[in-house]
Amino acid sequence: MVNISLIVNEKLFEVSVSENLRLIDLLRDELGLIGTKEGCGEGECGACTVIMDGETVNSCLVMAFQANGSNILTIEGMEKEGKIHPIQQAYIDVGAVQCGFCIPGMVLSTKALLDKKPHPSKDEIREGISGNLCRCTGYNKMIYAAEKAIEYMEEGK
Amino acid sequence: MDLNVVGKNIIRVDAYSKVTGKALYPQDIYLEDMVYGKVLRSTKPHGKIKVDITEAEKVKGILKIFTYKDVPKENKYGVVLKDHEVFVSEKVVRIGEPIAFIVGETQEICEEAYEKIIVDYEELNAVFDPIEAMKEDSPIVHGDSNIILHYKLRHGDIEEGKKKCKYIVENIYRSPMVEHAFLQPEAGLSYLEEDGTVVVAVATQYPHYDREEIAINLGLPEEKIKVINTNIGGAFGAREDISVQIHLALAAIVLRRPIKIIFSREESFLAHSKRHPMVMKYKTGADENGFLQYMEAEIIGDSGAHASWAINVLRKAGVHATGPYVIPNVNVDSYAVYTNNPFTGAMRGFGATQVSIAYEQQIDELAVKLGMDPIEIRMKNIFRKGSMTATGQILTDSVPLDKCIEAVDKEFQFSRKLEVESI
Amino acid sequence: MTLKEVYNSRSVEEVVGLLGEYGSEAKLISGGTDIVIELKNKKITPKILIDISKIEELKKIKEDENHIILGSGVTFTEITENPLFKGNLHGLHKACKMVGSPQIRNKGTIGGNIANGSSAADSIPPLIALGAIIKICSIEGTREIPLEDYYINKLKSNEIITEIKFEKLNKNQNLNFAKLGLRKALAISRLSIASLIELNEEGLIENVTISSGALGKYPMREKEVEEYLINKEINETTIEEAITVLQNSMDERLKGRSTLPYKRVAVSSILRENLKEFIKTRTEVRAW
Repeated sequence: MVNISLIVNEKLFEVSVSENLRLIDLLRDELGLIGTKEGCGEGECGACTVIMDGETVNSCLVMAFQANGSNILTIEGMEKEGKIHPIQQAYIDVGAVQCGFCIPGMVLSTKALLDKKPHPSKDEIREGISGNLCRCTGYNKMIYAAEKAIEYMEEGK
Repeated sequence: MDLNVVGKNIIRVDAYSKVTGKALYPQDIYLEDMVYGKVLRSTKPHGKIKVDITEAEKVKGILKIFTYKDVPKENKYGVVLKDHEVFVSEKVVRIGEPIAFIVGETQEICEEAYEKIIVDYEELNAVFDPIEAMKEDSPIVHGDSNIILHYKLRHGDIEEGKKKCKYIVENIYRSPMVEHAFLQPEAGLSYLEEDGTVVVAVATQYPHYDREEIAINLGLPEEKIKVINTNIGGAFGAREDISVQIHLALAAIVLRRPIKIIFSREESFLAHSKRHPMVMKYKTGADENGFLQYMEAEIIGDSGAHASWAINVLRKAGVHATGPYVIPNVNVDSYAVYTNNPFTGAMRGFGATQVSIAYEQQIDELAVKLGMDPIEIRMKNIFRKGSMTATGQILTDSVPLDKCIEAVDKEFQFSRKLEVESI
Repeated sequence: MTLKEVYNSRSVEEVVGLLGEYGSEAKLISGGTDIVIELKNKKITPKILIDISKIEELKKIKEDENHIILGSGVTFTEITENPLFKGNLHGLHKACKMVGSPQIRNKGTIGGNIANGSSAADSIPPLIALGAIIKICSIEGTREIPLEDYYINKLKSNEIITEIKFEKLNKNQNLNFAKLGLRKALAISRLSIASLIELNEEGLIENVTISSGALGKYPMREKEVEEYLINKEINETTIEEAITVLQNSMDERLKGRSTLPYKRVAVSSILRENLKEFIKTRTEVRAW
């Protein structure tokens, strides 16, 4: 076992983890953050995307011990004081949600993109979510959702 | 009429729980005292097996390893034909068939035991091509013939129809096997309620069929089984057949502990159905004015090692073989055939999808021969109100295909583009 | 997974010491985008895993008067966001931008791309075309080898790649890259080609290096194409002829491989795309 400390959703955790544990297992099995999904286990689908030190990563490809000292945001951390993030609201409003399994990762990729680039072009939005597979929608709704989210954030909604 | 829903933007009830990550899929449910399961699957496409679990059972933390001997009642299941085994008893018919179900305290313990199960194969000749599988001397997958279905459609008189044709085009089309790749790999959870009712929480397209199958295999009355449908991470037809349900219920009843299973992506690929690959031989003819007069089609669908929905899918392929076109003289023969390939079943479109590749290409080729715009030849032949289909159905209600084609033509300018390219 | 001990390393010195001690029982992990899968599938079974992703000295992009030096822990995202790799080094930017997905580029490193040794590694052909030298450290000391030779002279179990160094380009040189993948994102290269071309005053090719990915067991120089292109002008005729030269050397190298007929056709588009892009970037750079 190895002792690590990390911040997840603005909360400090000091945990003892198995050397063999992946970050996704730590988040789901140990910390109960089940909003992070495992779709492929090899970095192809992006369902396990979390934001680690400001950048999106596939949490299935990070070892838990590597997260020592890191600051991590999962889908559960997107809500602030009981209010969901404008990106989440936009996903709901434009109808971008179907089966929902890709959505936590998709929302976090969208957030990382908009944090870096508040006014991306359509192509940049496409590229921003290109590491997240969705088998239901065909992706257009996710692009509308990102555009709608930009509007919401400007309106301060 | 006042419409409350049609034409309105309605927010789905589950959207909030899904954008916040709170929606529960089976893998997200954790119970006290829960154990884990893992399936051992066949690695050969056709062969007789002998299974030795002695060493695997000795692994510390293993509760039980189930094989066909542990199934209380029927060992067979399937949506239409009962040609799946809960666990293979004698002969595997494809790669990926369940042979044993390992239950242990942790996933790692199950992995360890998995490595220690010995499966001896006496390999049999296998067949992977549905056309080969239809021949007399082919290896047989189940029973005494590989042909599951021969659907015949006869409409008008094809000899008369041929005589009216100026041009006949003849082609063979092949469509590939397709994986649904829904994003949430199969998972499930099973536990007993206080009164002994067994609960199976799973993402499924047919909770009622699942319950029926579990009851038959375990020899229980249906009211002692509860199937809870969790959120479903995509299905597209591939959650119509049983995956984890029977194994989980069996283990929960025998071991009286909550049990959970999660498939890896690789296992998900092995476990569920695929889209039927089809070989489609088409002859389609039109008269000098571009009116379709004749069509003959032979459609062979590869059902793989299990029938699943093959009867329905190949029947649908046959019914839709003309596409949305009026053709007075038609012969269609469609076949569903067993092979030792991965099994095929329901997938978006259910047999109607594959044939469109063939019939639309046929129309395009006729258009070229006739020197006719591809939109024009379609407008001459499409179903309209009052048309008769090859199955003899009169279309009495709304058939706005003409409007659809006009709108598409206007938006995409298909015909103009094709003219430019042909110059 | 079979790990008994893991280390969060903070210096190359520490890593070199650990590798010296554990040798083949240890593995290095940086971005983890390949190795975590191999660990999970038990394709590799090390006892010790050493994380090098937070070693500051490996994360630097440095330049001196004549060289650019990449720390082996520099991520693809860091390269694509750095203005150094636009302009006539655009080929490296493009190759790194085509790696995997944003998530993979955020974690994957240039050193990992080399160490992993895949024939289809996107960033390698442009680095080979640039004549990159890699610096390798171990308890026995430091050695420098051309990246091109790495694949015949791979890492020993006690070694770590620390730097990748190449000469800066002059204004007459341009680096270009073209790749064929099955889709835009998350696609492993079916084949890729990088070219570094220098024109003389008459517009003829003065110097050229061409390297390919996934056209053999490892990324390599395409010397026959280089020889052909020397002293030529790049136009439709020479592009076609260069394609034939490349196809002929592929016929030899990939003889009997099932992928040869496909790659033979595909390579013509990719080499054409690469050389046409050279013409395009040439005019754009000049226009500045």
